[in-house]
Amino acid sequence: MIIAIIKLSGARRKEMPQKTAVLKRKNVRNIRHIVQAAFFILVAVTATLSVLAENGIQIPIPDASLHAICPFGGVVSFYQLISTGTLVKKVHESSVVLAVVGLLLALLFGPVICGWVCPFGTFQEWLGKLGKKLFGKRYNYFIPKKIDRWLRYLRYFVLAWVSYMTIITGKLIFQDYDPYYTLFNFWTGEVAITGYIALALVIILSLFVERPFCKYACPYGAFLGIFNLFRIFGIRRNAPTCISCKICDKACPMNIEVSTSKVVRDHQCISCLECTSETACPVPATVQMLALPGTVQDSFTKKSETSEAAK
Amino acid sequence: MSKKPLSLTIVPMAVIIVSVFVIGIAGANLLGVWKTTNTKEPVKIKTGEFAGLPNPADIRGSYSWADIGKAFNIDVQHLLTAFMATDPAVKVNTLEAIYPKEILPAGMEIGTGSVRLFVSLYTGIPLAAEEGTILPLSAIAVLKEFGKADPGLIAAAAAKAYDPSAKQPAPSPVPQPEKPVKPAEAASAVPAASSTTVTTIKTAPASEIAAQTTTAKTTSTTAAGTAETHEVKTGTVTGKTTFKDLKDWGLTEEKIKSATGGKIGSDSTVIKDWAEPNGLTFSELRTKLQALLDGK
Repeated sequence: MIIAIIKLSGARRKEMPQKTAVLKRKNVRNIRHIVQAAFFILVAVTATLSVLAENGIQIPIPDASLHAICPFGGVVSFYQLISTGTLVKKVHESSVVLAVVGLLLALLFGPVICGWVCPFGTFQEWLGKLGKKLFGKRYNYFIPKKIDRWLRYLRYFVLAWVSYMTIITGKLIFQDYDPYYTLFNFWTGEVAITGYIALALVIILSLFVERPFCKYACPYGAFLGIFNLFRIFGIRRNAPTCISCKICDKACPMNIEVSTSKVVRDHQCISCLECTSETACPVPATVQMLALPGTVQDSFTKKSETSEAAK
Repeated sequence: MSKKPLSLTIVPMAVIIVSVFVIGIAGANLLGVWKTTNTKEPVKIKTGEFAGLPNPADIRGSYSWADIGKAFNIDVQHLLTAFMATDPAVKVNTLEAIYPKEILPAGMEIGTGSVRLFVSLYTGIPLAAEEGTILPLSAIAVLKEFGKADPGLIAAAAAKAYDPSAKQPAPSPVPQPEKPVKPAEAASAVPAASSTTVTTIKTAPASEIAAQTTTAKTTSTTAAGTAETHEVKTGTVTGKTTFKDLKDWGLTEEKIKSATGGKIGSDSTVIKDWAEPNGLTFSELRTKLQALLDGK
């Protein structure tokens, strides 16, 4: 089914006048924003109904706690599930199902959950729009590259700590520090002070840096980021047609230098497709999401290497 | 000649992502694995005298009084009377609203842990109650009539019970037993607010009690001086005991492993937290370790 959809979209692509092309780019970019908003609303409504139901206010719509619809709960439960057949406290079977869905998507396309689904990523993007208005071109470039590069690995320490502590205690240890949990439960009285502090920090930082939590602290993002190293579909830049305008670099919310990569294997890529020829890149078929293995490598990597060598 | 690679654009990506979620959830639903709530059935004790019985330690705040009554075969009316609740459908995590911390003695709590303790004393199924967990006086009245646990344990819980009619909430004074009491009874009779080294109430039945706490015997004859109180804690496995504590009390790694089935956590690991993720029930492990401590 996936291949059929891809082929269909490829066949429909045609040349068009520049103005129409610009309009189309905007519309196409909005599709991701619509998907993000839809997931945000879905999660917010579901979690709110769950809290209301716990307080005796029943609304005849299915509800589920935030933990029940968070795939990361499923990820940190894997060990306990395999070793004892039980789940970490507060985690439900639905989390494991979502974790498996996330894994499948990550194997195919990388961390699309981060770029398309995660409500907290969406929330940070919304705040980022305000930051862009405030700081213009300086936005998302405040932290020196050298420091930023190393800070990006912090989230792996968070992932290791959360995984270890969850295994040891059998409890969702990250809840008290989780700004995502705080965002959807701040009004319930169940949030620890550390959660409020974390959320406040993320809100402030989002005005300077795009997706600061995703970049530096999100343990689930760290886990999914590993799949960037061997995902089946990935972002590729066709060097022979690239005009090195670096628009793709500016479009990337995670500050990845797409313009210098043949294949984007950066662990921070969130597969948002903001850098592609469909959205940012002005040259058709230059930056694309392509199936990476086998013949694809021949058609891009080797050819481009050969042509560059010939020059 | 190389094949044209498969490319993916935004629209199909959106369709795929949404479809995978919808199909995944629908499929899980069909297979019966899409569960967003607990089953309200506590895990069963796996080994020992109480194997097959539901474990009171697994009662969660999201259980309603009716859920607990059903799981442990307890008359719901007894539960409601015990905690002065009215609606069987209400979750037990609402207890903190009925008994806010402000009205209780410092460090004491009537919450889900109290329900676990009550169920344990009512059914006679052992439990290591958490530090600071107390019962309301209404629960003691029910337990005295229907509780299956050792009367000494119920009396120990009564000594710390919260009396809402009392003007100043304070735990009962230190009981000065005229005759020697059972070790566990003595251990749990230490008043809550009198010392920072309050022990947990151990609700094992009489047969188990006999095998427990050698050090507690000291207390039974000397009441609750600070030194003795400390002695009660030393050598008694509680919900706060770490592997280091066991080693400090003289158990070798090999002995500990003999009780845990060959595994052992790091020194600072709390045994209670370690047990469940490693496939062990704390109450059973505690009994085994306690027997090792007593027999060393």
